[in-house]
Amino acid sequence: MFLALSPSHPDPMYKQLTDQLKHAIASGDIKANEKLPSVRELSEALKISAITIKRAYLDLENEGYIFTRAGMGSFVSEVDLENLRKEKLAEFRTELARILGTGKKFGISADDVVRLIRQIKED
Amino acid sequence: MPPILEARSLTKRYHDFTLREISLEVPCGCIVGFFGPIGAGKTTLMKLLAHQVPASSGTVRVFGLGYDEREKEIKDRIGYVPQEPSFYSDRSVGFNARFAAPFFERWDGGAFYRLLDEFKISREKTIRHLSRGQKTLLSIALALSHEADLLILDEPTAGLDIVLRRTILDRLRQFVAGGERTVVVSSHITDGLEEIAEYVNFLDNGELVLQAEKDELLARWKRIHFKEGALNPALVRQFADVREQPFGNSGLTRDFSAIREQLSAGIASGDVKVENARLDDILIAMLKGE
Repeated sequence: MFLALSPSHPDPMYKQLTDQLKHAIASGDIKANEKLPSVRELSEALKISAITIKRAYLDLENEGYIFTRAGMGSFVSEVDLENLRKEKLAEFRTELARILGTGKKFGISADDVVRLIRQIKED
Repeated sequence: MPPILEARSLTKRYHDFTLREISLEVPCGCIVGFFGPIGAGKTTLMKLLAHQVPASSGTVRVFGLGYDEREKEIKDRIGYVPQEPSFYSDRSVGFNARFAAPFFERWDGGAFYRLLDEFKISREKTIRHLSRGQKTLLSIALALSHEADLLILDEPTAGLDIVLRRTILDRLRQFVAGGERTVVVSSHITDGLEEIAEYVNFLDNGELVLQAEKDELLARWKRIHFKEGALNPALVRQFADVREQPFGNSGLTRDFSAIREQLSAGIASGDVKVENARLDDILIAMLKGE
C-alpha cells in the first residue's frame, strides 16, 4: 500500500488519508476482510499523530468502508465498489468542469477535450 | 542595474572562526535571506556588510560606494538591526530615540512615533523593562525612521511570537514594495523569513555554500514520493535524503525537470507523487553534501 501525505496539500491530513485508503481499497491493494495497519503503526510510519489517523479510520468506518473489532483492529469491509465509483465520478465531474472552464478561456472546446481523452487512452 | 550591495572575497578572521572569501551581489528591490546553522557566520557577515566590524580582507560596496571613503553617507542610508540591539538601558525609549536621531541626516520623528504606536511600545518605558522582542521592534522602528534604502537585519524574528513575527515580515515586505529599497536579513529557516525572501543564501562553517533565487531553487528541488518498485533504482540512487517507510518511500531530487519524463508513467498511475521540497530539507541535504 502506498500512502504519501503532504502538509502543504490543501486537504487536511485525515482527508488525504481517507482518500488514499479508499484508493487502495478500490484498486484491490487491500482486500475485503484484510486487516488495516494499526493506528500506532501508521502513526509511526507516516509521522503524523494518532488522533489524525483515528479520525480517518472513524470517517471510513462511518462511511462503511472499514469495520473495527475491539482488541483486533480495523478491517476492510465487503465494500460495494459501486459506491466508491459514484464518489469518484462526482469528483471527476468537478474536476472536468474546471478543465472545461480553463479550456474555454483558451478556445479549447469540450469536443477537443473528448478527443484528447481518446488519444491518451490509445497511447 | 548595478547591485545595491556587493562583497568581494570578504574575509573575517577571529581566533576560533573564519568567515571565508564571501563574494555576493544583492540586486535592488528585493529581500535577500542568509540562512545556516548556529555558528555558520551569519552574524559576522551581517556585521561586515553593515560595517560594524572591519573586514580582515576583501571589500564591501554599498550603493556603489566604499566604506573607506564614504562611511557616513552609506550608514545614513542603511538601517541596521543587530541581534541584540544596544540602548541606554536605564533610560526611556524616547530618550534613546532622541539620542539616536542626530546621527541621521533624514530623521523622521513622526514616522518613528507612529511605528512605536503600531508596535505598542510606550515612549516613556525604560529600556530594561522591554522584552527582547520589543527591543528588536524598537531597533526596527529606528531603522525604518530615517529613510533608509537598505535594511540589514540579524535574526530579527528569532524568539518572537507569531503575531510580532507577522508584523515584522509584513513591514519588510512593505519596505521593499515599489522596488526602490532592499532588505538583507539573516535568519534560521523556520523563523518565517524564508517565506518572504526572494533570494536565499546558505552559510555553513564560514563559507557561502549556495546563492540562489528561491523560486528557481524550489522549482528544481522536489520531494518525490514513490511506491516501492515504482521507480528505476538507478534514478532513486540519485536522490538525496531518501526515506524508506512501510507505506512508500521518498527522496529529494535536485533537478526535477531532468527527471520529469521518467516520472510521468508513475504519476499517471498514482504510484508517484511530487511535492515541493522544504527549504530546510534542501539546506540539510546540501550540508550533508549528498
